[in-house]
Amino acid sequence: MRRIWELVGVALGGLRARKVRTALIMLGPILGVAAIVSAIGINESSKGHLKAVLSDLGTDLIVANAQGSLGGFGSDPRIPEAAAARVTRLPDVESVTGTLQMADIVTLPFEEAEDFYRAFPVPVIATGLNLPETLEVVLASGRFLNDFDVSTAARVVVIGRDLADEYGYLRGEARTIQLNGIDYGVVGVLDYVLLEPSMDSAVFLTFANAEEDLGLDSRDPSRLYIRAPTNTKLVAQEVPTVISLGGPDGANTSVPTDLLDAQSQVDENLNNLTKMMGGLALIVGGVGIANVMSISVIQRSTEIGIRRALGHSRGTIAVQFLLEALVVGVLGGILGAAAGAGVVWLTAELRGYVMVLSVVGLVGWAMLSVAVAVVAGLYPSTKAARLEPLETLRLG
Amino acid sequence: MVRGDSQVSEVLLSLDGVSRVFGDEVEVHALRDVSLDIRAGDFLSIVGPSGSGKSTLLGLLGVLDLPSSGAVRIQGTDMADLGDADRSRMRGGAIGFVFQQFHLIPHLTALGNVETALLYRGLSAGERRQGAMDALEQVDLGNRYGHTPIQLSGGEQQRVAIARAIVTDPLMVLADEPTGALDSQNASNVMDIFGDLQSSDRAICVVTHDLGVASRTQRRITMLDGGIVADELLNVAGGAR
Repeated sequence: MRRIWELVGVALGGLRARKVRTALIMLGPILGVAAIVSAIGINESSKGHLKAVLSDLGTDLIVANAQGSLGGFGSDPRIPEAAAARVTRLPDVESVTGTLQMADIVTLPFEEAEDFYRAFPVPVIATGLNLPETLEVVLASGRFLNDFDVSTAARVVVIGRDLADEYGYLRGEARTIQLNGIDYGVVGVLDYVLLEPSMDSAVFLTFANAEEDLGLDSRDPSRLYIRAPTNTKLVAQEVPTVISLGGPDGANTSVPTDLLDAQSQVDENLNNLTKMMGGLALIVGGVGIANVMSISVIQRSTEIGIRRALGHSRGTIAVQFLLEALVVGVLGGILGAAAGAGVVWLTAELRGYVMVLSVVGLVGWAMLSVAVAVVAGLYPSTKAARLEPLETLRLG
Repeated sequence: MVRGDSQVSEVLLSLDGVSRVFGDEVEVHALRDVSLDIRAGDFLSIVGPSGSGKSTLLGLLGVLDLPSSGAVRIQGTDMADLGDADRSRMRGGAIGFVFQQFHLIPHLTALGNVETALLYRGLSAGERRQGAMDALEQVDLGNRYGHTPIQLSGGEQQRVAIARAIVTDPLMVLADEPTGALDSQNASNVMDIFGDLQSSDRAICVVTHDLGVASRTQRRITMLDGGIVADELLNVAGGAR
């Protein structure tokens, strides 16, 4: 054990005596490990963020859009109410809400703003009454549309969160807005809908009102939001058939959270590329270590000769140089891992992620640096051990 | 050959019919059938012109090289029978080297240089330090232990090298042109130190081409063309034996 510590002391002394050289050969492992650690760390943190978003949104929401000639040739595609009811009866389906975005409705917070809101129309959506349940969105204030509104034909609307901000709507304020010149009372504000950001600036009203006041021809929606907590993918596949009953046209379905998954896959590819570049930097660093240490062996041939004359064996000399490489690898690995962790932390701070970094991974990548350094040190240390003291000491 | 009274002392190192041939295609016979005994208490010099085989002999005496034929023995052990690790251990324990160019390790202090000879011997750091300090005191450099070679004069560097050679209490101090890089005053001091180091259980061997230096020793071996042509006793009356 004492011998090992003596060897470590000699190796450290050799590195300390040539600080600039040591720092330069350490750069390779530092850059390599830092690149790999930061690539993995940023990706993991980003994935963690996506997972958090996904878990907030739920991965069991299906969106079905009408397509083809459903609802009548030449008109916008719609899903017949009866078809929507069939979807509701599917096993695994918890709730279904039909919506229809209406065109050419002028929505005004007050009359004087007509010119502006004609140029920038606000989306008006006729919706089923259980939209908040299906989307799992709460009301920021007030209430959503209900059966009482339908049965009494009350002229009430719910507005999205952004629209409420835009209108300067105050919480609980008794406010009316105009839809095509007809006054509607605002009864609630829907909170942010992460999967449908367009809803944040929309006006929601019942199909009954849309029929009554805005000339809607039927209560057939153009889009269904379907919450299916189990067998989500299977339900997504079944829904078009259930809607079309085998006919040529029906609906296409998508699971919006799939997009986020795909996004994380794209990140994975980029991540692999960065990992490969980090690996390449490590290999180049290893070649650098081998190269610089080989030159160093030549420069230090007299020292090697002296040590041999003092009784140090070939094995001892080899281990001394290998330990120098090992120390470079260890320090390079630690500094690289620290630098990589720093980059991950900074990125997480800037992007608002929670930093995700595996300690085992950090140690693992630092160990890779050690392994690369040791392999790189094999050749120079063997070369040092083979030097003949008789030649390096120039006797006689 | 005028050696006659040496049977009384133990043979520390012996060369028995040693030859050394270099090169594969063109063979160069650097040493031819050399036999030599170095005994405890010997203070000897090896002299000869360039190309006479001095360096080759020095390499073999210092166990830095092995003969092509014949045997080099330290206290009866044939060096060819040992592996590198054992041979290195034997070299470290039995031989103390002093070189013409001092050959101190530049980034180490005087103390660090002397301590290097005590590494890997199972000594604690304190024991190494104490041993090295004692050796430096012996060459009157105890107060310069923290200086690096560049901060020392040539004579002082050579004294550090001598301290490094004797710190292991070797059987033989092997000095290669130890005064070659020194002025006459420092050269004389170094030879005085060698004289002081002489003891009944240690041999001192100086390889030199300077006959003045050789005259300070008690036995002079003269080499020519890879062989020993004379082995004479000098100053026998003042010898330790």
